[in-house]
Amino acid sequence: MPEAKAFTNTNKPTWCPGCGNHGMFLALQRALAELGWEKREFAMFWGIGCHGNGADFYDVQGFHALHGRSLPPASAYALTRPDQHVVVEMGDGDGYGLGLGHFVHACRRNVALTVIAHNNQIYGLTTGQASPTSDHLMPTVSTPQGVLEEPVNPIGIALAEGATFIARGFAGDIAHLTSLYIEALTHDGFALVDVFQPCVTWNKINTFAWFRERVYKLEESDWDATDRVKAFDLSLTAFHELTCAPDTCKMPIGVYFRETGKPTYGQSTPASAEPGWRRALHPRDVSGIMAKL
Amino acid sequence: MSQTAPYGREVRIRIGGPAGFGIKAAGQSLARVFAQAGYRTFDLTEYPSLIKGGHNTYHLRVSADPITSHVMATDILVALDRPTARLHIRELTPGGALIYDPKDFEPDADADLGGRDDVCLVPVPLTRIVDDAGGIKIMRNVAALGATLGHMGMALDGLESSIRAQFAHKAPEIAAQNIAIAQAGLEHAQGAPCAFPFALPAAEQAGDLVLADGNEAFGLGALAAGVGFYAAYPMTPASSLLHFMAKHGDAAGVVVKHTEDEIAAMNMVLGSAFGGTRSMCATAGGGFSLMVEAFGFAGVSETACVVGLFTRPGPATGLPTWTEQSDLRFALHASQGEFPRVVLAPGDHAEAFEYTWRAFNLADELQTPVILLGDSYLSDNRATSERFDVEAVEIRRGKLVAEGDVQDHPDALAGDGRYARYKVTEDGVSVRALPGVEGAIQVVNSYEHDEFGYGAQAEEASIRVAQNEKRLRKLDLAASMVPPPNRFGPDDAEISLVFFGSTKMPALQALQWLHAEGHAVNAIQVTTLWPFPAIEVCRFLCDAKINLIIEGNATGQLEGLIREQCLHAVHHRLRRYDGRPFSPELIYATVKQLLGEPVELNAAGALVAKEDFN
Ligand SMILES: Cc1ncc(C[n+]2csc(CCOP(=O)(O)OP(=O)(O)O)c2C)c(N)n1
Ligand code: SF4
Repeated sequence: MPEAKAFTNTNKPTWCPGCGNHGMFLALQRALAELGWEKREFAMFWGIGCHGNGADFYDVQGFHALHGRSLPPASAYALTRPDQHVVVEMGDGDGYGLGLGHFVHACRRNVALTVIAHNNQIYGLTTGQASPTSDHLMPTVSTPQGVLEEPVNPIGIALAEGATFIARGFAGDIAHLTSLYIEALTHDGFALVDVFQPCVTWNKINTFAWFRERVYKLEESDWDATDRVKAFDLSLTAFHELTCAPDTCKMPIGVYFRETGKPTYGQSTPASAEPGWRRALHPRDVSGIMAKL
Repeated sequence: MSQTAPYGREVRIRIGGPAGFGIKAAGQSLARVFAQAGYRTFDLTEYPSLIKGGHNTYHLRVSADPITSHVMATDILVALDRPTARLHIRELTPGGALIYDPKDFEPDADADLGGRDDVCLVPVPLTRIVDDAGGIKIMRNVAALGATLGHMGMALDGLESSIRAQFAHKAPEIAAQNIAIAQAGLEHAQGAPCAFPFALPAAEQAGDLVLADGNEAFGLGALAAGVGFYAAYPMTPASSLLHFMAKHGDAAGVVVKHTEDEIAAMNMVLGSAFGGTRSMCATAGGGFSLMVEAFGFAGVSETACVVGLFTRPGPATGLPTWTEQSDLRFALHASQGEFPRVVLAPGDHAEAFEYTWRAFNLADELQTPVILLGDSYLSDNRATSERFDVEAVEIRRGKLVAEGDVQDHPDALAGDGRYARYKVTEDGVSVRALPGVEGAIQVVNSYEHDEFGYGAQAEEASIRVAQNEKRLRKLDLAASMVPPPNRFGPDDAEISLVFFGSTKMPALQALQWLHAEGHAVNAIQVTTLWPFPAIEVCRFLCDAKINLIIEGNATGQLEGLIREQCLHAVHHRLRRYDGRPFSPELIYATVKQLLGEPVELNAAGALVAKEDFN
């Protein structure tokens, strides 16, 4: 079994000291090591943002996509490389802002992907602008009077659009996050793990301490993760506000919802049965199709 | 029989009526009937961007001789409504026929016939025929097809088998009913009051012809090349290629995805290409606008992929169902930054097939994106071509390692033995080992990157320069691999034409007429727009006495490119940007004018009769 550190290379992480990305980095490596995945058996995809800079530090086969565009290439890769696992990392601005359309459609499709969202409720890489998951009325450099919109609810959207595995993690609880990752990575279908990832540089509100006072684990309650409607309800109540006090504002982490046995997009696509490069070993005989024109 | 010079042994049929009357479908069945009988056909479908309402027409040229394009003249006008007669009567050649249903209208001498008394009126009770057979209104087009064949003195055989094939999946009565309707239409027109002066000579066995539109040709080329992934978002005129790929995808082993938008389509192409799959998307200019960022990603990440850019008049949503060649500069310059790309512009259906499979080879061997530049005129219209040369198709994947261990490829390894996906090489192309190959750890990056694909390191100036220069070196290699320009006509000519893309079709037709009259006119078709074949074009222009650049845009994009790349003067220009394709008549008349022998075109753009039929 590869050790966790087998998935790092010699490039030094460029994340700020104390950033939530470090914990997520570690948790994913541990999960991969635990599952015993060889480097050649999977590929990782990243969007653009601080999270995406991980593309430089992981020692894996990877694709550092455009801003907001990690899901389309990852989906097509999964459909044409059925011999590979696919892990996608995206930022909240990246995946729920520019890439929100792709996110909605990816949830509908049930392509076999594990999607990890680095949800720091701010734009890190571009120095602290509001993100689609920033709290209502949160002031930022691009919204000095406070964000006027309601935040995007990624868990609710994923539930509404039929995603088959939906979880939320916290970068401050690496052991718990590792277990969520393992479940997501072994889920047969589209799996979302939205992770509270404190940005210690730009988001001075949603800090590690702020989350520690508010998160609780679903598996430690009597949560039934097979009820999509209840999970949707929970996704609405779990919205937090800037002002909410720790005792009135509880934020669930863990598996909101899982559904097994639904066919994946690839399973319903006959052409997806074989790696696509094998289709180009010889010219395809098109004379039959031509004769019918 | 004699026809207006220089037209050949041919008949031109136009069917017109409101949208939703099955006009294109009817016309295409007719084309199939003639093609199967060994005639050459070329059709032009004109329709506004509406599903119901609006005026649709289908123009079919049928010839006993090889032809390369549509023409503007019409010998039989099938008017499924009165506006068709009013709009198109002026196109009818003298002696031509107007087929109409007296129940729709009785032609008024001035309003409908434009005062013409040299056309033959062929009333056919289309509605009554359909009613008598217990059919429904849309079947009037079948009655009209029968009438057309009857008026031309042709038998029904071909149409019968075509109808049978078309309704094969339905109850046998449906085909029988349609055949009866066609037969009744035919009998009616056989008793027409005037003889048809343009009887087609018997078709010589024309050999093995394929009747396809441009998008079918593009699709066949992609399938032949082993495409494994095709993604698109519908946009005219590329939509029918998506339909073609979707229809054949499962059986052929192609994952075909109608995506949420063009951004997803192009980004999906990048992802599947990363996995080694031959990948393609196609769209019109509006969709390509959305793809541009990802197109640049293909450039910086050296991703082999093929993008069909089938243009229509723009900008923005433009004229969706019409044609133009105004995205040439867009194809050449799309994306920020600089990187090598190849832009191929097939000129006809056979080239659409051939350049598509070649595009995949070029993309793989150069590891860079290739644009297939087309337009509505090529995509939408059907022509008979010699069967596409499927035997010639080769698959060349370049420096690709799909299986095994990357350590077996020393030229792929950096000094420390690691796989270097972007190793700097002399020709600019590195060894591409696919994910899954042992040891092929690599990052494909939308950022500038080092030899391993890592981004942060490449902010080092020297790395940026080395990678940028490495990529751009591929253009020299590309120049030696891309299709050279096509030359037509004698070396020594009075007038020399220059064009690209689908303009080849009418231009060759005009050239054929000019040559038949003994004029020394030659032409060069620029088939690869980038890297621009400056030497060949320059040589051609240097030998030319008078040059004429023909292109479907208002600003002279090809002309500008020639000035920039060849530093050569351009003498004359013919530009069109009203959404209509060039007609051979227009090109012929323009050249005749330059030769000092002006000819007249009628209001419909057809050549005016010089000799009368008798
Ligand atoms: C098309 C495009 N627009 C804008 C940018 C600039 N940009 C880079 S990262 C980023 C936002 C990053 O925020 P988020 O996704 O939340 O990631 P984080 O940095 O917080 O991890 C933006 C706007 C870009 N790269 N591409
Ligand atoms: S800016 Fe924020 S998200 Fe980015 S590395 Fe620093 S702490 Fe992390």
